[in-house]
Amino acid sequence: MPELTTELRKNIEQLLTDQVVDVVIAFKKADAPLRPQPAFFRNLEELEDLEYNGLCQNNLANYLTRYPHDTKIGIVVRGCESRSVNALIVEKQHPRENLYMIGIPCQGILDIRKIIKKTGEDVTGYSEDGDQVSVVYEGKEVNLQRSDLLHDSCLRCAHPNPVNADVLLGEPLPDGDPTIVRLAIEEFEALDRDERYAWFQKEAERCIRCYACREACPMCYCTECFVDHATPRWTESDISQAGTQAWHIIRAFHQAGRCTSCGACERACPMDIKMTYLTDKLNNDMLEVYQFETGMDDNTQPPFASFNLDDKNRFVI
Amino acid sequence: METRPKIALFQCKWCLYSQPDQNWVDNDLPSSMYLVKLPCTGRINPLYILNAAQGGADGIVISGCLPEKCHYKEGNLSALRQHEEFLNFLDYIGYERSRVRFVWLDLQDRGRIQKELADFEAEIAKLGKAKVLATRTNVSPGGQYA
Ligand code: SF4
Ligand code: SF4
Ligand code: SF4
Repeated sequence: MPELTTELRKNIEQLLTDQVVDVVIAFKKADAPLRPQPAFFRNLEELEDLEYNGLCQNNLANYLTRYPHDTKIGIVVRGCESRSVNALIVEKQHPRENLYMIGIPCQGILDIRKIIKKTGEDVTGYSEDGDQVSVVYEGKEVNLQRSDLLHDSCLRCAHPNPVNADVLLGEPLPDGDPTIVRLAIEEFEALDRDERYAWFQKEAERCIRCYACREACPMCYCTECFVDHATPRWTESDISQAGTQAWHIIRAFHQAGRCTSCGACERACPMDIKMTYLTDKLNNDMLEVYQFETGMDDNTQPPFASFNLDDKNRFVI
Repeated sequence: METRPKIALFQCKWCLYSQPDQNWVDNDLPSSMYLVKLPCTGRINPLYILNAAQGGADGIVISGCLPEKCHYKEGNLSALRQHEEFLNFLDYIGYERSRVRFVWLDLQDRGRIQKELADFEAEIAKLGKAKVLATRTNVSPGGQYA
């Protein structure tokens, strides 16, 4: 996507020159070609390194909470990221007037694991053009199809277009099919109890408690996470069965009504542990029970914060 | 040898309107039942429920006040949304939802908590020991490892 990167660079240049923003959160090239990194641009010179392609793994909304509220932040957002930003605005983590969202209709993020499965670990070059992706492995060019490499969360994505962006680079894309994620959940629910638990155990109990999933999630901005609390110790903080299970259950549950299914948690996990099947279930319930989807605007409170007496008939005696 | 199922009772301290009921809960619960008394159901973090399950409870009862009767106005409303969803979620990963019961009590419900607990105990006995969710290492009150 070199053209898009150029357009993005021009846009950011303008924002910084006109002092519309103090800093722009975007991606830059890194030494490892498959791993562009989040970057925080304040000067025009740094923009040389700007990068935008399907390998940009992080949810940039994650960095919003690290700035004082009066910092004017420009941020590059895809569909899910824009919704995370909106959710953070609802949670008063940054005032809307000090934000400038540069929206990019998202073609989906590529799963590095899917790439290196097809090639090998040491990829030395990468480029993409439309649906064609080409990587250099052991000096040879390998051509791949973009659609074969999409991250699972992106395959299920219903809202590729940024919501409430200040500017949109590129044409809006057709919305995704919301039944895909529902079918995945229903398929899981159709398993019997033991199978569901076995699957949960197989995933959760491989956890090494590195908390990369937490660090990658824009909604995990607590100053002190429940797992780090020492007295009382709410959960075992080691890799015991009970500890890893509790971590996976509660981390996911803390995202109910707040998660945008960006999949950044899953991409960050060094153990390749599946966890979006947990948050997707919660998201789906929020939609079915409360008609709520995270971040579709920047003022609707999530269901757990907007309880009221309308619920009174749900108290079954 | 203990044969009765272990039950954790999370009780809002305002929900038992009759003093004899509260006295019974405070002093005469069978030893297989463990009382956690809280200011309000809204104070129950889903983490507490998980801790009870991982602490070896075979069943969990949450007792609180009805809508419009909450001492703190809407703590129970907040609790309902969270805990209903938490149970949906636990059920999704394999934990039997029927191991948790809500008991919403009203002014005229004198003597009901005893009946609910007995009835629930019988149901849990039918389900048997909880197998889903790993049991955590014992911690002493206050949260220090024993
Ligand atoms: S829980 Fe995962 S999928 Fe949901 S917002 Fe956080 S990082 Fe994204
Ligand atoms: S897991 Fe929960 S407590 Fe920990 S940082 Fe995330 S939201 Fe906060
Ligand atoms: S990133 Fe993976 S291994 Fe690390 S704490 Fe999260 S689930 Fe566990």
